[in-house]
Amino acid sequence: MDYSNQKHPQNYSQMEDLKTLDLEESVSETIMRDLRMIAYKLKYVLIPKEQEDNGKELRNWDLWGPLIFCLTLAMTLSFKADSTTSSSKSDVFAIIFVLIWVGAFVVTLNAQLLGGKVSFFQSVCLLGYCVFPINIEAIIIAFVGSYLPFVVKLIPVIICFAWSAYSSVGFMASLVPPHKKKLAVYPVFLFYLFLSWFSLIV
Amino acid sequence: MQNFGSNNDLDEKGHVMTDQPKIKVKFEPKPKPSTCPICTVEYYQQFFDIEQRDVYMRIRCSLLSWKPEFYQCVGKNPDLWGPLWISTTIIFILFAGGNLSRFLLEEDKRHFKYEYNYMYVAVLVVYAMAFIIPIILGVIMKYILKSELGVFEIVCMYGYSLSVYMFVLILCIIPYNEAQWFFLMCGLANSTIFLLVNLWDFMKKNKQTTLIAVPIISFNVALILCFKFYFFRLIYAVDD
Repeated sequence: MDYSNQKHPQNYSQMEDLKTLDLEESVSETIMRDLRMIAYKLKYVLIPKEQEDNGKELRNWDLWGPLIFCLTLAMTLSFKADSTTSSSKSDVFAIIFVLIWVGAFVVTLNAQLLGGKVSFFQSVCLLGYCVFPINIEAIIIAFVGSYLPFVVKLIPVIICFAWSAYSSVGFMASLVPPHKKKLAVYPVFLFYLFLSWFSLIV
Repeated sequence: MQNFGSNNDLDEKGHVMTDQPKIKVKFEPKPKPSTCPICTVEYYQQFFDIEQRDVYMRIRCSLLSWKPEFYQCVGKNPDLWGPLWISTTIIFILFAGGNLSRFLLEEDKRHFKYEYNYMYVAVLVVYAMAFIIPIILGVIMKYILKSELGVFEIVCMYGYSLSVYMFVLILCIIPYNEAQWFFLMCGLANSTIFLLVNLWDFMKKNKQTTLIAVPIISFNVALILCFKFYFFRLIYAVDD
């Protein structure tokens, strides 16, 4: 392929575009590259030791990861939902889906209104990636939950909720002035509490 | 900033001669026409200009409802953070607690059906009480009854008046009829007294303004009736 008339890439996304210009690349390679990007960002967001550059990697936000985790969570929970009433499954799916996107939107808007200088999509991206632990516990409970007493089910729920909240709180708290930190962090806590509660009761 | 001065002469050392009259033209971006100032994010930032300490003080003021100190707490700075997140917390407590209360009563726990409608009804009822009703009341008070209080001050006050329900509704999870009524009555008294005490200065002006107490009390009563008869209704298992 002749690239001589292509402009020199000015930024990260143009570089990606150049790479994707190779139409002879197989579909599986394209998908693997996207999955590797999601996995890399996931590791970055959820393992605090990786964040040595204070969240700069999040500037390359994407919404694929959040969408995948949102759909997986909604499908897991609606699969597990009571099927005797016909609308339960669709209720659960709709509630989870709307909750995640509207919740992430409102929490980010809250941080912006409190004076936080953050790109809207960066914050939604982070909140979406931090839904991953709740995804894990929903899957665990979906498979083995019916054999376990309630108290035992609580343990993975609490651990994963704490993990999600801890991962995102650091970022959110750094956005706003110090005397407004709790005001920015409380909605994040409420958001993950809602989601964890859902994975516990369904 | 660009200097379009025509007298940009240089002296011997190459410095621009500053005593020459220069015409400085500042390049400023054109201000956006304010077709809808209330629709922008910047307009609402003024209502989030509070600290966590202020929120504690305002919730404390609302819980000690018989003291008319709320406007001293708020000053010239009504906020929307409190109303928004207090009402969202109440929605969560209604959804989780209402179903939990039914679960505790249920004899056949393995076949307990979770009611997801609680979520929709909770969102409707609580946000209506926290935003729609105070906006309507505020508009009536400001434009018809000529109050000095702005619409956002009324919204702020209503939002904080709901803060007592955060605690009351958690206690209502206890599945005993009498206990639930007792807690809800306490919440109703606290919330209504808070609103009336803080609006007393406005209400004692004339007969018309005193009538504003009627919708305030009736909406609060309707709210706890809704809590009791929808979210925390006690369904006893019927023997077939």
